[in-house]
Amino acid sequence: MQIETALLVGLLFAVSVYLLLHKSFVRILFGFVTLTNATNLFLISMSGDPDGKRAPILAEGSGPIVDPLPQALVLTAIVIGFGLTIYLIMLLYRIFLDAKTTDASKLFLPEADDE
Amino acid sequence: MFAVILLPALAVPLVLALAPRLGQRVGYLVGAAPLGSAGLLAWLAASTGSQPRVILEIPWVPQLGVNLSFLIDGLSIFYGFVICVIGVLVCWYAAEYLGRKYAHARFYSCLLFFMTAMLGTVFSNNLLLLFVFWELTGVASFLLIGFFHESDESRRGARQALLVTAATGLCMLVGIILLGLSSGTYSLATLADGSLSDYKDGGWIAASCVLLLVGAFGKSAQFPFQFWLPGAMAAPTPVSAYLHSATMVKLGVFLTGRIFPIFHSLDLWFWLVCGVGFFTMLFGAFLALRSNDLKAILAYSTVSQLGFLIGAYGVGSKTGIQADTLHVLSHVLYKGSLFMTAGIVDHCTGLRDVRKLGGLGRYMPVTAFSAAIGVAALAGLPLTTGFISKELLLADLVDARAWVWFALVALSATLTVAFAARLFFNVFTGSKPEALSVHRPGWAIQTPPLLLALAALILGTFPGLLDGTLNAIKVAGLHGEEPIHLALWHGFNLEVLTTALIIVCGGGLYLLCQKSGWKRAEIPTFLRFDAAFERGLDGLSVFSKRLTLALRADWPPAYLPIVIFFLLVSLAGTVAVSSSRFFEGFSAIDISLSPLHTFVAVMIAASLVGVIVLRRWTTQLIALSVAGFFLTFYFVLYRAPDLAMTQILVESASVVMILLLLSRFPSSRLFRSEEKREAKGRIFRVILSGGVGLVMTGLVLFADRHSHPDPIGPKYLELSKPLAEGTNAVNTILVDFRGFDTLGEITVLLIATLGALGLMMRYKRGRAGNDPAPAPGFFLEKKRRP
Repeated sequence: MQIETALLVGLLFAVSVYLLLHKSFVRILFGFVTLTNATNLFLISMSGDPDGKRAPILAEGSGPIVDPLPQALVLTAIVIGFGLTIYLIMLLYRIFLDAKTTDASKLFLPEADDE
Repeated sequence: MFAVILLPALAVPLVLALAPRLGQRVGYLVGAAPLGSAGLLAWLAASTGSQPRVILEIPWVPQLGVNLSFLIDGLSIFYGFVICVIGVLVCWYAAEYLGRKYAHARFYSCLLFFMTAMLGTVFSNNLLLLFVFWELTGVASFLLIGFFHESDESRRGARQALLVTAATGLCMLVGIILLGLSSGTYSLATLADGSLSDYKDGGWIAASCVLLLVGAFGKSAQFPFQFWLPGAMAAPTPVSAYLHSATMVKLGVFLTGRIFPIFHSLDLWFWLVCGVGFFTMLFGAFLALRSNDLKAILAYSTVSQLGFLIGAYGVGSKTGIQADTLHVLSHVLYKGSLFMTAGIVDHCTGLRDVRKLGGLGRYMPVTAFSAAIGVAALAGLPLTTGFISKELLLADLVDARAWVWFALVALSATLTVAFAARLFFNVFTGSKPEALSVHRPGWAIQTPPLLLALAALILGTFPGLLDGTLNAIKVAGLHGEEPIHLALWHGFNLEVLTTALIIVCGGGLYLLCQKSGWKRAEIPTFLRFDAAFERGLDGLSVFSKRLTLALRADWPPAYLPIVIFFLLVSLAGTVAVSSSRFFEGFSAIDISLSPLHTFVAVMIAASLVGVIVLRRWTTQLIALSVAGFFLTFYFVLYRAPDLAMTQILVESASVVMILLLLSRFPSSRLFRSEEKREAKGRIFRVILSGGVGLVMTGLVLFADRHSHPDPIGPKYLELSKPLAEGTNAVNTILVDFRGFDTLGEITVLLIATLGALGLMMRYKRGRAGNDPAPAPGFFLEKKRRP
């Protein structure tokens, strides 16, 4: 079980970094979303192999239960990641309105001062 | 005691208030402060005269051993008097010297501040307190050197002085702390009574000795720190006379004397102190001989004489210290007087270049007389204190059988005679050059140097007058037991013979140089350490500017790769360092794949690849959300129903928001052209992101094999029902056990919302008005201008 997760986490991080290094706003945004997902998956993988265990709800059944703490942490992380994504969307939109570009490489350049 | 130290500082507000009304005459008023301190000091000396040592202590930070502890003994009283008396004369002199246009209030405030710092330094018993005052003198010196802050030279000199003395001061602080840790006390009096063998050593004692001496050498402009003192001559002449010859630069000498009882038994003391001191003496004399500016000559001669004063402490470790206070006193008298006469010459002619001066004796006979005595004392001619002091040092060197140092001292004394002769004859005698215009100095300005010179003459002629004082201010541990007896004539011995030889050779050297017209009187660049120092400083700022530009902290495409690269390097480095622990058990990894998990994982991977390779942003977004929804499924596989639910909601909302955003961006044709441009550097991105992916995979596998022996998760499970009355452990953790974390999370969301709202509202408001919107971030508003 964990080997697939490990490979998947690696792939998610690789893809997100690859996208983040682009100059297009769209790619950067997608990279950020993927990065959030990658981190969440990374955290949940800390709860160990879930095979043969049941969800952390006490009412039903018997047998070993998965560790609830990573789940609580990831739940928080998902929500905060969502908040940050929304903020990033608004920020990119505002920069687009101001700078009339969706290319990060065209922002903040010293040449821009001379215009 | 406190009144002595604080009186000058307390006078500052008064001076500030009165300076605008009194103009330059305020100097006389300022002189009252050191005079008052001197009076109090005299009273203090009289009342504590019978006791060899008095300590006053007020707790300040007792936990760290830092107390306002003051030590009153012969040495501190002697230095206190020097500071106060010379302070009075300098204020008098400055009142006449400084023209009307000077900022008197600022000048005298700095001077008074300096006096307080100086007095504090010499009276400190606690080494850390001494350090505080020590650095304050450096700050005051910085302010006074940079007094003419419009001038480039002043600023450079002030910066050099501050950097050198503060850097060496920091070395000293390290030395102080090492000494304090080894001995368990910061009190100078306790340290002087103790013995080195009682302390915890381990090599730290010698290290702290060297570091403390570095501090002393830096302050006293010893080799290789000598270059800041000539630079400090950019200060007004009263400051040069006071700080940079009479008092502040003596602090190094003072500190060497203070720590002498602690360290003198070390072998390295003799070699280090003598070596640096006497080498500096020769070096300074050589540079003085090759300078042309009056103040530069005096500055280098001060460097040289300070080497003499410090070296004397080195010799003393073999023969016992006798006359260190006499040496200091003599130097204070003649060098103070010489600086003041140089200032008068500068004042009356507007020139300081020895080559352009001459024949001034007719215009200012009194000044010439003071200068003659000062120069005679500098050269060590009989009937001056300089002679007595030099004889005593030579006698010490003979006693110690240190012939190498003896030769060094004799050689530098010869050079000193030559440039001393030049200082007098080429300025005050001979014929006046045509171009030189002179106005006669007033009596008031000529009196302070005259007083100092007369003191040097009288005490030099009747040295017996000093016996009582010198014996009274002896300090146990520093000075020998036997009483000092000074006399003009000690009989015909090696020292007298050497002095005679020195005077003859020095005179010969002067005539020789005079004949050749001082052709070689220019300091070679490689000996000018200040030039190298400045180049180093400039290089540093150029380097940091280039580095900042190269890293481009305001441009994400430039700095993101750097940040990620270093993240990768540090993670991979950690793995490499602890590779044995990291890779242990990697072979035992269960590589069997469960079909369901693999299917979901492959689906996520496929849609991620889609995000990368698809061309249009709409299809990319679809691929991205497919990946997100499959991730939800993956959470289900991890037995996390709450997560799956949240992820679905968040994913849907995100997609809607992204759609809203992207629909406002320009058409996808633009994106394709961007795609083409982004093809550059793809390999670099692939390598970097591949590295990050590998490291993260490794981390997951590593974490999987190393779990905490006592995890907290099961405890939450146990307590969920009895404490939180809930069956869903994830929920109870969020709202009960870690409720405050959840509150923080909600706050983050709120802040993000407010931020997003603010971004939009400011834009609308800006568009409504005439001005373009003030945009967030750097440079953005510039982009908006046509």
